[in-house]
Amino acid sequence: MRISKYDKLAEALEGFNRVESLQDKLKINRQRAIFLMHKLRALGYVKTYYGANNKRIYYISKRNKERGISYTSVLNKYAPTAGIRILDNDNYFVHGRDITPEELMIYCLKQNSIRYVIASLILFRKIKDWSLLYKLAKKENAVNKIIALYEVARKSVRKIRKMPKRFYNLARKEKKFYYIVEPYSSRDFGEIEKKWRTYIPLNIADLTEYKEGV
Amino acid sequence: MLNKEQQEKIFSSIGKELKKPMQVYAIGGTSMMLRGAKENTLDIDLVFLNSDDRKIFLEAVGNLGFKNENAIKVYGLKENVPLMVNVLEGRIDLFLEKIITSTFSDNMKKRANETHEFGTNLLIKPADLNDVLIMKSATSRAKDEDDIVSIINKSQINWDVILEEVQSQIKLGNQLAIIGLEEVLERIHNKKFAPVPKSVLDSLWVLLNKQINEKSGKEKKEHKLKSLTV
Repeated sequence: MRISKYDKLAEALEGFNRVESLQDKLKINRQRAIFLMHKLRALGYVKTYYGANNKRIYYISKRNKERGISYTSVLNKYAPTAGIRILDNDNYFVHGRDITPEELMIYCLKQNSIRYVIASLILFRKIKDWSLLYKLAKKENAVNKIIALYEVARKSVRKIRKMPKRFYNLARKEKKFYYIVEPYSSRDFGEIEKKWRTYIPLNIADLTEYKEGV
Repeated sequence: MLNKEQQEKIFSSIGKELKKPMQVYAIGGTSMMLRGAKENTLDIDLVFLNSDDRKIFLEAVGNLGFKNENAIKVYGLKENVPLMVNVLEGRIDLFLEKIITSTFSDNMKKRANETHEFGTNLLIKPADLNDVLIMKSATSRAKDEDDIVSIINKSQINWDVILEEVQSQIKLGNQLAIIGLEEVLERIHNKKFAPVPKSVLDSLWVLLNKQINEKSGKEKKEHKLKSLTV
């Protein structure tokens, strides 16, 4: 099948589908249905959602391909469990380049949402360019917030890379406390809060998904 | 004709060439393509909010080797014609707030809630499809009627928004907004190309009559004043 044929197929299958429904619609076997879904996904037509019992639901649409990539869709790719994924309602799309985990980290902080903060913790595993993260964080006045979240991530998510000492040293010694998500603070991460003058909107109970999934 | 890949390539290379970040609005076929309602377009229509941005954009397009086109050849001696550049097998039209007779109103800006980033420096906000429908009804080209049919069939049209916006276009000086829209929608309704609610056509008819009465009332007043002064 050529790409134009997949284009037509995506148009015909527009909407929510499961592997079984694809089998019914196209009168094909399961193996072929999975292959077609794989091809459509590779061409950018498929978005995957998770239903009850973690069953995969595929949203096939030509619009998925045309819209570029959104920050939330990339964040969802990194999420280790379905419970951490966020409903993608983004209105910001990037074309012609990849979104880096460093950019994504800052994006999550700017969302002012606890769900984004929880989902962002896994990103510390992916960050390679710490100097870029520092630059972006400094621009947003969020260096201390990043370090505070990093320390939370070290305690709750496994296999987190070590942050360079330079990053710690460059953090400003603040007097005033800052919120990540106003007005929430933590019962369990009080020490980190005091150390980095940043209120953390999470408790250990909020991070159980990481314990189960990672 | 420009397809999606070509359009993306053009925007990405312009975005990389731009000296500073800028935000522009996409209207017409470009907006429909970015919102997934169309496959290809003859021309890329962009609306700038200030002339400096348009100048910088034009410079960047020039640096990529694309050449300017004379707008009079395409639009004649109309007002608010765009600056034009020929690219690959299409054209970019660069408007400055006004699009021939229509105005890119504040409400249109608010409704353009999606942002598409190309080459980090170019942020394009595609106009809402309700607004694209209104702008397309102002022209009398057959392909624009096809686009209107496709918008009505493929997306959820908010007819209240359309009725509201068409009235604000009149206030902004586009006197032909209602009659243009009414004519196109009536034709589409009669030929059954797409579902247009009867109540919308009736409301447009009422608005049109109101506009005529207001205008004739004004003219009568002006005539009276003139005769008194003479």
